[in-house]
Amino acid sequence: MSWISRLAARAPVPVFIAQGESAPDALARLALNPAIHVVDSPRAACILLISGRIPSALADCLNRLHDQLPHPRATVLWQSHAMEPFSNAVEVDASDDIANALSATFADLLAGDRPSEADILPDAPPNEWRGIGPHGQGGKGMMGGTPYGRPMAKTDDDIRDGLSLDAYTADFGPFLPMFPAGLALTLTLQGDMIQAVTVAHPPFEGDTAARERLLRLLGLSALALRSLHGQKGDGTFRRLVRLSRARAAIPADLGRLPDGSDVRSRFDAMVTGLQTAPASDTDMTLGDLLVGLEWHEALLVINSLDNATLRGVCARMDAPPDSTNDATHADHDMHAEHMG
Amino acid sequence: MTTIISIAGILALAVLFVGVLRAAGWSDFAGSATAPQQRPVLGGGDPQTHAWQRFHVRYYTMTLLFVAFEMEMMFMYPWAVVYVAEGGKALAEMGMFLAILSVGILYGWREGIFRWE
Amino acid sequence: MIVVLAILGLFAFLIASIWAAATLDAVCRGWIAGGGTVSPAFTPLRTAALWLSQQRLTTEAPDRLNALLSIAGYFALGLVGLALVPIGPDTTLIALPTSVVAWGACESLVVVVVFLHGWSPNAPLALIGAYRYVAIGLPIMLLSMFVLIAAALPAQSLDLRDIVTSQSSVWNVIRQPLGLPLFILLGLSLTLRGPFDYADSADLAGGTSVEASGPDRLGWQIARLVMLTGFSAVAASVFLGGYLGPVLPGPLWLAIKTLAIMTVVIGLSHLLARMPVARMMGLIWIGLLPLSFLDLILAGVLAL
Repeated sequence: MSWISRLAARAPVPVFIAQGESAPDALARLALNPAIHVVDSPRAACILLISGRIPSALADCLNRLHDQLPHPRATVLWQSHAMEPFSNAVEVDASDDIANALSATFADLLAGDRPSEADILPDAPPNEWRGIGPHGQGGKGMMGGTPYGRPMAKTDDDIRDGLSLDAYTADFGPFLPMFPAGLALTLTLQGDMIQAVTVAHPPFEGDTAARERLLRLLGLSALALRSLHGQKGDGTFRRLVRLSRARAAIPADLGRLPDGSDVRSRFDAMVTGLQTAPASDTDMTLGDLLVGLEWHEALLVINSLDNATLRGVCARMDAPPDSTNDATHADHDMHAEHMG
Repeated sequence: MTTIISIAGILALAVLFVGVLRAAGWSDFAGSATAPQQRPVLGGGDPQTHAWQRFHVRYYTMTLLFVAFEMEMMFMYPWAVVYVAEGGKALAEMGMFLAILSVGILYGWREGIFRWE
Repeated sequence: MIVVLAILGLFAFLIASIWAAATLDAVCRGWIAGGGTVSPAFTPLRTAALWLSQQRLTTEAPDRLNALLSIAGYFALGLVGLALVPIGPDTTLIALPTSVVAWGACESLVVVVVFLHGWSPNAPLALIGAYRYVAIGLPIMLLSMFVLIAAALPAQSLDLRDIVTSQSSVWNVIRQPLGLPLFILLGLSLTLRGPFDYADSADLAGGTSVEASGPDRLGWQIARLVMLTGFSAVAASVFLGGYLGPVLPGPLWLAIKTLAIMTVVIGLSHLLARMPVARMMGLIWIGLLPLSFLDLILAGVLAL
């Protein structure tokens, strides 16, 4: 063990959290522990902390997430259930101290006493592509290559200015730190604006960390930590929020619901700690709320909704995309062949 | 001479910096990334397409106005040096210049070029 | 001989200030979070050691050359800023009669390197951060050039050495009160911090550095702190009289003023909220740019 590993072993433990259903309440307050560093990206983590029950529908996502951590890495299951690929993981139940378990695992990992976990998924690209096509680019034609099994994005009309540029579709979540736990969305983006959204997985019931996420989205991560102390009537907290001009930073009329509330008023209610009644049952879908918004605005809207309202909005499916989409794609393929 | 040595030294230091980072052979865990490690971070989700795309740059109208101001900057550098010598005449000239550009900003604002189109 | 001493001194100052900035950041964060911190002075070193020990990951079809260039470029641009700053009368490492123009070039190249950092991993969240940063990085640069030219008027020169000398009776921060606040906004943007962090922000899970792991993450974070040092030194020279000061030796005054600016930038980055990018772009053009015009006109009238 080199001196550099010894130094590294005393760093705050970088943990990426994969939150499942009915995770322990103490999970949110884990970030307050100075010995733990809850990170935004799995690329920065050493430990994947799986907390709560992961529905089987999200098992593939969890496997993909696990493999994105750099070595050395380990998995800790906290009040979770045994899952097939994580048989070597450290299990922590309600009676154990989670911070101690994380620190001990981290120390073992850096000392080499605990082997770094191998990949769950096979070491092969999502699709066979090497060697196909005249230049080995994975297909025919200029746009026909599919390196790593992923084609280039396809042309689509923009909903704001009507320009035909590339529409990018991907599944975001369910383990993104800026999303409510469990929420997975299939988003079609043009640039940083949302063109279409479908709910791949609804958020779990009972999420209460919206205020912290909203503050983090506004660039106030230190204040977000302060909000976790949960003291009623923390005057300094409210003063600092006012000083930060967070209210003015939120655009007016963003994410307005039929009951008249918008992101700004819902943010006010969260900061003052008022328990507002869940917004009246609306027939809005997530598409009604998010389509046409820029990325940052869309996330502010999602995280300003209370758990019940968001689950209600997610439960109503958007109408399936009409057939005009297929027409543009066919057109695009013809174009690609022509260029090839 | 010092200037040239300093600039060369800074460039050498920057190259050395990334070279040391890249070498970082002190780790027992160095090794190239496997296929599942290479997938883009989407919190467990997977993309359908490559991220390289004709990205919709929604501020392109703003960049045109920016170019106008950058050109103005080229006139302002020599102006700043002779300003005190030239006196009130220079102030009036630059005031006119700025006034015209400000009208340009107001016109652009009315046309909505600062919107995220 | 003096040159060698100057190089060694600046290098030592650079390392000390990187460490000081990381420590200040931890202290400030702990203070606002209300939980305090445990050994904030050692945490940066330990975290750096950890990043060096971790595996360096690459993504599918990354732009390897530009990934390296972005880190090296950001690092070098911050260093150039530091080397442009005079540490005594007529003592500066990069002695240009147009050093303000050179710093302006550094500012604009920061937009390029931050963009490349988000572009090279070929990943959606990083790419959004890269493009979005340009929308703010360009107009905020205009702001800084107007306040820098205002500072050049009384000196009748574009040389930072002359600008410092021109403040021997009264500092620019008093003579041109709008200048320093506007320039600090640029500093927040150059170092990707707080209200101007449109590249590495939380809504993109880290934005341009979401894919950076191990040594690459360390390199990018160090480069950000080098840029913070370079910016603070330039701001201290243009608005706080640089090396000028009684009793203490000049370089020490410069170091103290640089650390003061750095503290303000770090504090603001934790205290001010970040608005959606379109709103900020409008605010810069409609609100802040006219303020910088006003700064220039006031400085002009005063200089006559």
